Amino acid sequence: MSVKYVPVIWNRTKFVYDAVVLATVGAYLGIYIYIAPMFQTVTRPIDWDIYKAQAFGTCVFFLLTFILCIGPLARLDKRFLPLLYNRRHLGVITCVLAYFHVDNILGWYNAFSPINRYVSVFIVNTSFDRFLGFPFEILGVFALLILTILAVTSHDFWLHFLKPTLWKTLHMGIYLAYALVVAHVALGALQSAAGPFMTTAVGASVALVATLHLLAARKEHLFDTQQNTMDDSGTWMDAGDPKDVPDKRARIISITDDERVAIFRNGKKLSAISNVCAHQNGPLGEGKIVYGCVTCPWHGYQYRLEDGKSPPPFTEKISTYRLKLENGRLWLNVKALPPGTYVEPTVSPIMAEGS
Amino acid sequence: MAKKKPDPFFIGWAKKPPKSLQGFLFLISAILVGAAAGVAFGIGSSVPDPGDARFAWGAGYQTFTGYVDAKPYPLLRLPAGENGRDKPHAMLISGIGKRGMQQLAGPLDGQPVDAGGILLKRGDLDMLQVGGKVSLRAAENPVQNFTPAPAEHLGKWRLTGEICDGKCYNGAMRPGVGLAHKACANLCIIGGIPPVFVTSTPLMGSEFFVLADENGEPLTAEVEDWVALLISLEGEVERRDDLMIFKVNLDSAKQL
Repeated sequence: MSVKYVPVIWNRTKFVYDAVVLATVGAYLGIYIYIAPMFQTVTRPIDWDIYKAQAFGTCVFFLLTFILCIGPLARLDKRFLPLLYNRRHLGVITCVLAYFHVDNILGWYNAFSPINRYVSVFIVNTSFDRFLGFPFEILGVFALLILTILAVTSHDFWLHFLKPTLWKTLHMGIYLAYALVVAHVALGALQSAAGPFMTTAVGASVALVATLHLLAARKEHLFDTQQNTMDDSGTWMDAGDPKDVPDKRARIISITDDERVAIFRNGKKLSAISNVCAHQNGPLGEGKIVYGCVTCPWHGYQYRLEDGKSPPPFTEKISTYRLKLENGRLWLNVKALPPGTYVEPTVSPIMAEGS
Repeated sequence: MAKKKPDPFFIGWAKKPPKSLQGFLFLISAILVGAAAGVAFGIGSSVPDPGDARFAWGAGYQTFTGYVDAKPYPLLRLPAGENGRDKPHAMLISGIGKRGMQQLAGPLDGQPVDAGGILLKRGDLDMLQVGGKVSLRAAENPVQNFTPAPAEHLGKWRLTGEICDGKCYNGAMRPGVGLAHKACANLCIIGGIPPVFVTSTPLMGSEFFVLADENGEPLTAEVEDWVALLISLEGEVERRDDLMIFKVNLDSAKQL
């Protein structure tokens, strides 16, 4: 959390995260470029520039695959949530590596010609009506454009400028970029420049991304389709036994397909707030009460339980909801209150702290 | 009193991740680095063989004296005895980079010439990248008692294979074939490098055919649409010395 914009707010976790990412990228490129050639069965080696382009290009593909796996993995197993924390750095590194890939290609395949190398990408292959032979480079160009936009707008300045919903929608463009990259690889490298291992690895990667997303979507769908009883007025929803809400944690209630409420318990006190973090729409209900504040599991943004406001000097605020206890049951008023509205916590006398 | 169940919660800005998560995160990090290394090794060590094609830099600058045919694409007609060959040899020539030799070869068509440059070699195939001091000029000392033999017509054929550019296939790029190389091949062809047809199976011992239109002229830009695809083509085959020319109508092209 920050009240002013600085290029990067570094902390120990980010250093460690980036170190692991750089070690992964370094291991990939180092082994691809310097070790693997010693084990190739080729008459003569592939041109150095092309080989480097392959190394950078495949590295980008697998990094994108990994980036897209983080979200569903974190939905399926909370232990993966730390991988989300600095995913933006991972995206920026991926974008930079994509430029190295392009630089090697343009400096070799598109060079040595009277035609400008940048212009040549768009004019030398115009077989748009073919599947095989389609100018797959254009797909890569569009993917690179998207990655660049996402990398440039990854900073919190843009998040606040565009507002979380628009920013999040924009950054969902990563899926379009991945689809373009898959098509770029499938219609290009896999048609001639790849061995069986690469074909298998690319296929397995796409299958992994698709499978994890389907599993996560199934889990979310099952949750969203759980029916909660409404009272006769249609205003209050049965939120269950208050004892089922673990201390310092929340129970998430799905009001509609796209609105969830997190009911937190802090000792004997129960409060309901929006499940959506004002920062990046993180799932607050999977967070925890730390230092008296609900803490988002994605980036650690914090909110007070009673009014949904971040503690000063921070200014984020989220919607709150009313709760009531009746006959030992917890009832949730489904009408969201304006962000930052104070609601007196509901006290459940039968619960002890830490239970 | 019952022992409290651990409830690890990661906060990015906290000093350290919860102890119960540290082992898991270390394991994930190790798996990531290990998987990256394994995949990189798997892909990098299993790349397809781009073939024995290369610039013969080691042979240095070489000069040849023979005749030049400007059509369909410039080629040198060399007498027997060149480079240890016991029969006359026809060799494609190109300019430096992705440039053809039409401008220099056109006015010298059918005349004795000197050509100097660097050889590209792919097995028995070769091509001369013309440049340097000699470049391509009227021969200073034409080869005595040598006139290129007329083309030998070998009939009409339908052949299966891939169109690529003659220079990259001969060693200017490795790999110099395939769809990943299509843009490069098109740039070469646009620049005047001869398009060639590399067949899946040899015809009369040859898998390498210089392409021409039905009249023996250079192909139109339409050829670029067919580059790097597995196709079949129909046309007349002729032989000039040891080099095959495939005179095709691109309307006969079929993608396989």
